[in-house]
Amino acid sequence: MSNKAARNLFIFGSIFFFVIFLALTYDTMSQVEKRAPEITEGVNAGKMVWHKYDCIGCHTIFGNGSYFAPDMTKIVEKKPKGYLKQFLMDPKAVNPNASMPTLGISASEADEMITFLDWISKVDTNGWPPKPILAVASGVAGKELTPGEKVYRAQNCSGCHSISGIGGTSGPALNHVGSKREKTWLIGHFKDPKAFVPNSAMPPFGHLSEKDLNDLADYMVSLK
Amino acid sequence: MSIKYESQKIAQYFYTFAVILFLVQVLVGIIAALQFMWPDFFFLNFNTIRTLHINALVVWLLVGLMGATYYVIPEESETELWSVPLALLQFWATVVAVTAVVLGYIWMGFSPQANSLVLGTQLLNEGREYIEAPRWADILIVISVLLFLFNCFMTVLKTKKWTGIQGTLLGGLLFLALMYLPGMAYTKNMIKDQWWWWWVIHLWVEGTWEVIAGALLAFMLMKVTGAKREVLEKWMYIEVGLVLFTGILGTGHHYYWIGTPGYWLWIGGIFSSLEPVPLLVMVWDAFRTTREHRVSANRPGQYYAVAHAIFNFVGAGLWGVVHTLPQVNKWTHGTQITTAHGHLAFYGAYVLLVLAMIYVTLPAIRGVKSFNESRSFQSFWWMTISMVFIVLTITGAGMVQTYMERLMGLDYVAVKANYNLWFWILRAIFGVGFLIGVWIFVVDYFKLGKEPQRAVSAAPERA
Repeated sequence: MSNKAARNLFIFGSIFFFVIFLALTYDTMSQVEKRAPEITEGVNAGKMVWHKYDCIGCHTIFGNGSYFAPDMTKIVEKKPKGYLKQFLMDPKAVNPNASMPTLGISASEADEMITFLDWISKVDTNGWPPKPILAVASGVAGKELTPGEKVYRAQNCSGCHSISGIGGTSGPALNHVGSKREKTWLIGHFKDPKAFVPNSAMPPFGHLSEKDLNDLADYMVSLK
Repeated sequence: MSIKYESQKIAQYFYTFAVILFLVQVLVGIIAALQFMWPDFFFLNFNTIRTLHINALVVWLLVGLMGATYYVIPEESETELWSVPLALLQFWATVVAVTAVVLGYIWMGFSPQANSLVLGTQLLNEGREYIEAPRWADILIVISVLLFLFNCFMTVLKTKKWTGIQGTLLGGLLFLALMYLPGMAYTKNMIKDQWWWWWVIHLWVEGTWEVIAGALLAFMLMKVTGAKREVLEKWMYIEVGLVLFTGILGTGHHYYWIGTPGYWLWIGGIFSSLEPVPLLVMVWDAFRTTREHRVSANRPGQYYAVAHAIFNFVGAGLWGVVHTLPQVNKWTHGTQITTAHGHLAFYGAYVLLVLAMIYVTLPAIRGVKSFNESRSFQSFWWMTISMVFIVLTITGAGMVQTYMERLMGLDYVAVKANYNLWFWILRAIFGVGFLIGVWIFVVDYFKLGKEPQRAVSAAPERA
């Protein structure tokens, strides 16, 4: 390859990829509005508070930031809003072990910030952050087990099936079973698997009560 | 060794400012490392210290690259710089603006409420990672860079000798200036905010800066080995071409989880996985050139240049590619794994690049044929070994964090305070090792060529 050919390849190749990038930017910009709730004045005011106090200097949001303090993407789902407000205004009064300094955030600024963080938590982030698989599997992720989850455990379904990577691999993974199957299909299938999947090696669970089967099917439908 | 054009000496102003900021950057870096163990250790909070640590890094690298460019352009154009007073004005304007911004950060550190809204923008700190500088400083930075580019282009136009190296260097710098603009506007939507922010951050460090690195690597190899320009420039075009072919769409690896459409998982995953390829070609290029031309005109310069190529590949390439696929990144994103990658990538790709340029050009600027080389090798090993261990400890912390927080569901604070404590302690210790290396380098920078020469090397000169 001559030097001139190499140079032209560099220049025109780079322009080619940049044009593709611009086209994708245009497409993405037309989609992002639909992937999050509407931005109210309150959300924007909260975003300004977020910038004013340089929160990104310690925290991360969407996983981007300083890795010195917890990620804020789903914080409103994890903590009650009343707690967040009190903590923002005077962290060490709420938790003496807290590392966060008192920045002088006012009550109205704290409310605006929580409105902003609430908006952030509702953005479609392609499933990030993922639910911690071991905590979910052992049912200690802060929630009581649902009746369906109890049946799933009592019948040792995880001996063959997996959810979020935890469990056996003999049967299909159930991560998204709720978006594939109807409830009636599921209950019928529990009672007589072979009638629905000809080569199925799954044992029939017709001996379970109608309530248990119903609860288990509810749990399966919730897996989307 | 001596310079061909008097105006090349202007590079020294920029180098000196860069070297001082390098020392400041590492000093505040150690404070930040201690704050991982004792958050209240210093009178400024972590956010201020970290902002200083990273802003000092970005500024000293940019200032160093400007100095290097002022050295390269007259040599390649075979003429004096278009205007030395303009370059001096641009230098002092940069120093004043940077000092003002730093004082603003410190003021805000003492009194967060001082960061008030003036004309719709924050007065002292925009609160956006890496580009915290307020709007008034943004405008000054753009003016400074435009003056710098204008001066360089006018120099080239004097003789119209468009060599491949200087064309690529100036093209990279022009694109760098343009890519600062998307980060200047405010947007209400945090998704769009992060979108344009990544244009600046990613298209700088994994785009234009690597293009500049490719051009300077070719220049340095030509200077220290006497290799043929035609061969070096051909490989340079291939390297910087591959950098942009993979790097532009590789921006997609930042668009997995910020609210952008799912197709970015495919685009980002595929293209960013290919990003190490041009960096590997650079390593091969550096090895081939130095082996074919066994005569070295400047051993420390060659040493740092080859080390830059190697650690660019290891830090930016390998340490990046391990967590770039969305299947992996889903678990590691936002953990210390990213910090580890950031440290080794910046050290290899840009710190060693600027230091290599200083060692290649400074002896000529100071007008010495040979100089005491031992300090340059001492500082290299202190810095490199310390940085490798800093990166290994942070990588360990990131693995523990990924497992305990992301997989097991432990609380962020519990993992940081308890399970990663040893990693923070070791990181701070290796940080002091790095500081020792930097100090040796700073001493070497100020003494190089100014000490009495040893008789052996001085004798032939007198004859």
